[in-house]
Amino acid sequence: MTANTFDMDLIQTLGPELTVFVGLLLIMIVPNLGNGKFRIPGTQIQLPWFLGGTRYKAVSSPRLPGLLAVLTMLLALIQVVWYLLDSSSVSEEVTSENGYQILKVNLFSRLFEGIFFAALLLAALASLDRLPTGSMKSDDIDVLFNNRRQADFYILMLTSALGMSVVALAQDLFVLFIGLELASFSTYVLVAFHKETRAGSEGGAKYFIVGSVASAVGLYGLSMLYLWAGSLQFSVLAATWAADGATSLSMMALGFVLVGFAFKISAAPFHFAAPDAYSGANSPVAGVLATASKAMGMLGLMRLLLLITIPDAAEDGSAVWIGLLGVMAAVTMTWGNIAALGSENPKRMLAYSSVAHAGYMLAALTAIGAWNWGLVENAGDAKDVVVAALLFHMVVLVFFKLGAFLVLGLLEMEGGASRLSSLSGLGKREPLLAVAMFLFMISLAGVPPMAGFLSKLLVIMGIVEVATGSGSLDSLMDAHWVWWLALLMVLNSAISMFYYLRVGVVMYFHEPEEGRQGPLASGVSIRLAIAICAIGTVAFGLVGGELIELCRDAAQSLG
Amino acid sequence: MSIDYLSLMVVLPIMASIFLLVLTSRLSEGARRKFDSSIRMASLGITLVMFAVATLMFFGEIGNVDWTGIAFNNFEFKESYVWIEPLGIEWSVGVDGLSFPMVWLTTLLLPITIIATWNEKAGATYFPLILMMGGALIGVFVALDMFMFYVFWELTLIPMFFLILKWGGKDRKYAAQKFFIYTFTASVVMLLGLFTMYFLMDTQTFSMVDMVTEANGANGNGVWLGLEVQKALFIMLMLGFLVKLPAAPFHTWLPDAHVQAPTGGSMLLAGVMLKMGAYGMFRLPISLFPHALEEFRFIIMLIGLISLVWGAIVCLGQTNLKKMVAYSSVSHMGVILLGIASMQPLGWAAALFMMFAHGIISPMLFAVCGAFKHHYHSMEIGAMRGMAKHSPWLATSMMFGWMASLGLPLLAGFVAELMLMVAYWHAYGWWILLPGLVLALTAAYYLWSMQRTIFEGGDETQPPESLHGEPVPDIANSEKLAMLLLAGFTILFGIMPWIFLDMMDIWTQNAMKFLGFGA
Repeated sequence: MTANTFDMDLIQTLGPELTVFVGLLLIMIVPNLGNGKFRIPGTQIQLPWFLGGTRYKAVSSPRLPGLLAVLTMLLALIQVVWYLLDSSSVSEEVTSENGYQILKVNLFSRLFEGIFFAALLLAALASLDRLPTGSMKSDDIDVLFNNRRQADFYILMLTSALGMSVVALAQDLFVLFIGLELASFSTYVLVAFHKETRAGSEGGAKYFIVGSVASAVGLYGLSMLYLWAGSLQFSVLAATWAADGATSLSMMALGFVLVGFAFKISAAPFHFAAPDAYSGANSPVAGVLATASKAMGMLGLMRLLLLITIPDAAEDGSAVWIGLLGVMAAVTMTWGNIAALGSENPKRMLAYSSVAHAGYMLAALTAIGAWNWGLVENAGDAKDVVVAALLFHMVVLVFFKLGAFLVLGLLEMEGGASRLSSLSGLGKREPLLAVAMFLFMISLAGVPPMAGFLSKLLVIMGIVEVATGSGSLDSLMDAHWVWWLALLMVLNSAISMFYYLRVGVVMYFHEPEEGRQGPLASGVSIRLAIAICAIGTVAFGLVGGELIELCRDAAQSLG
Repeated sequence: MSIDYLSLMVVLPIMASIFLLVLTSRLSEGARRKFDSSIRMASLGITLVMFAVATLMFFGEIGNVDWTGIAFNNFEFKESYVWIEPLGIEWSVGVDGLSFPMVWLTTLLLPITIIATWNEKAGATYFPLILMMGGALIGVFVALDMFMFYVFWELTLIPMFFLILKWGGKDRKYAAQKFFIYTFTASVVMLLGLFTMYFLMDTQTFSMVDMVTEANGANGNGVWLGLEVQKALFIMLMLGFLVKLPAAPFHTWLPDAHVQAPTGGSMLLAGVMLKMGAYGMFRLPISLFPHALEEFRFIIMLIGLISLVWGAIVCLGQTNLKKMVAYSSVSHMGVILLGIASMQPLGWAAALFMMFAHGIISPMLFAVCGAFKHHYHSMEIGAMRGMAKHSPWLATSMMFGWMASLGLPLLAGFVAELMLMVAYWHAYGWWILLPGLVLALTAAYYLWSMQRTIFEGGDETQPPESLHGEPVPDIANSEKLAMLLLAGFTILFGIMPWIFLDMMDIWTQNAMKFLGFGA
């Protein structure tokens, strides 16, 4: 089914996105409702205009924008989940009048939207308590905590949601790029929004500078792709690639675009801004960067690499980029883990662990490309398995990665979580919170029966499946070299064990720091968000079957 | 309707443990202390029920199983449920002559551990962790699905990590992390091996039963997956199990973990957790890759020998009682490897019985160490003299434990060692001098340390300085009970080893026949 732009069908097709859009308008308008009047020029007649003036009491609550945002995200998420679970859901396309595909709604894109909305919903929910109760008491800072600041914060959250969903739906690289930039710019500002510390604006600035360079490079790549294919439609690009093969122009263009996305998923060597940004941002935002924003970059990579440049199943050979991507994966995961070993700041530690996870995901992508497409029966099915593993990984990552950041967020409310020692004694102060944090940590490390184990298992299985190929080898040396990526991956998870466990040790066996006794601030909504994350982490680890099925279906619809 | 007892024995303790932990998690330390005794009773009750079920299973009251009539790769009490459908992962349980003794041993040790550490501090958290440990350990032994096996394999790490961390000695943080990371690293390598095997197989199944069926179908006329691949996979799998066992040179986590672990943790660690390694070897690499085993048997023998000798030599230099016992465990685990490498039915049965016997004797040794520490606040062997005078119970238990450990006839350890020596002689001839001498040497050292600690001093006993002149207490009643039970079972299995040896023997013979080692 297709819907044309500016058509009534569009409303039905793009329900979640329009929900976000309406929510965005509401947050802009509602907090500004007041007794403002409009004087007709040249007369004394004042017409009630309702914007500006003295704000009405009902709408000036600092909590209102947050509640609106949470409600919006929730409604959008419900629609997405409905679409995902409803077996009668169909793939729908939005095309312009001259036949260009612009957006495409299917399981794959909706699943990504689910990831984005879920992450942003949890982050918004967590921020409800965080912002108004900010740790700084000084008067001139108080103004930052009024509802205007609140509105700004949640507007940015919603715009990044909107941008991300455009990326998910886009069928055209240019549309995708617009969505990417919308989301990116919102996150740059969100990072710098953490005004309690100087690190916030510093992190924001660094993230912005590095990010815009990466975007510029990516955009340059896009222009070269356009030069090469004459269009930025995915379908056209894929057809041109199939006909032309890799030319120097297209390869260079591809490389440039890759840089843009590699920055988003913080793959080495484009990850340098990530630790600063994560530690500078307030924790819920950092959590969004590590989950939704990363999933967005991954989505771009998947579309680019798997939709356009993968060889036909009939063709004999592997994708052209596997060498490059394999090296990148190896370097990224190792670098991330080794750097995380030395980080005393838990947020930086999580940032580096997120770099390492990017490496694992890149390894899975490498495996897909490494398939010798001509030789394997049902190569397409196998691709779906690996893509499904990646999707599963990104879904469950929302729970444990974001959850870990949210626990740090709760700690931030009592004045900073920038040292590992600020976690000390958490086991005594907040037993349940400490358990949740410990679950997140071992899930990140990939210890069964957590969701993180299942996801890592799926990814390793995917890689090994490619490496062992048709199923008979003379020796392991004959396995495809991606097998060694799997080995590197398991060794890396062993390294990562050090720093994840250290968090557990500090929480349970260090005495609380001076002045940090007793329970933490009682943020109901942030605790609710953490509880959801913890339940998701355990539940999807124990009974992940349904979600895996869903991810497989979604992977098939990647096309 | 039949009840799935095995799954219950896995799920019940874990669920109970989580329930008890959550129940008291919101309480302050003081309020929680009030629950210590009721939680201890609840934990003891649950473990006793598990022990009763396992014992009834053994006697055929439940399930009416003929334990000596189980063919290789056949399992009793077998149940399967779909777990993660898209991957074909099942929750699948069952026991055979290899795993049932270990299951029974686990259920035996759990209540004894609880009794031996009756007065452990912060019991409201401690006893649930012991329960969780028990459930996870049984899960490892009954799992017939690779995924499930791995899940429980790793799950055992978590309660043990916390047991060491919270109740451990001075360097517990280092020890706990070292323990976790060593075993985790090894097991992820094992996991990769399992996956590689999974994709190389024809049937692509997680079920261990189907895996062994396929492997042996192919091994009968050729080499399943090709020799090179078999060797590589064998190494990857064995690595996981050797570190867990532990064998030299991967054993260094064990002394640290043991010295720092609390008594209960040590008892379970030495009693059952080390056996997971040996059990895993028999269950996976040996059953799947007989050709690779044949290739590597000499190397395995050497590793076993090095563990044995090294463990014994380091043992000699120890003044710390617990470290000495820990190194003696390394030695004994070396013996298991020797048994495997002998490739004789008798040797394998000896290895299996060694697992079992050491599983009863080493907890006793660690219980003695625990009592030592608990009452004398010291672990130094030279710290006290003439223990027989003022602490007859502890002295007797210690002596009994040491005797059992060095293989006194009529005690369980002797049976295993004797069988092993015979098998080893058959397989390697005069190499036997090496383990023989080493065992004699350890015996000498044990006797010397005992003599110094227990008897020397005549009428003038020398209480340890760490007591600062306070009267020397003997061990508590709960400890006496635990020691008596362990000693009793040591004697029982020394005099009547056939109780479990029969089914081990049958399993070994069937396995050897099935794997084509012509027995």
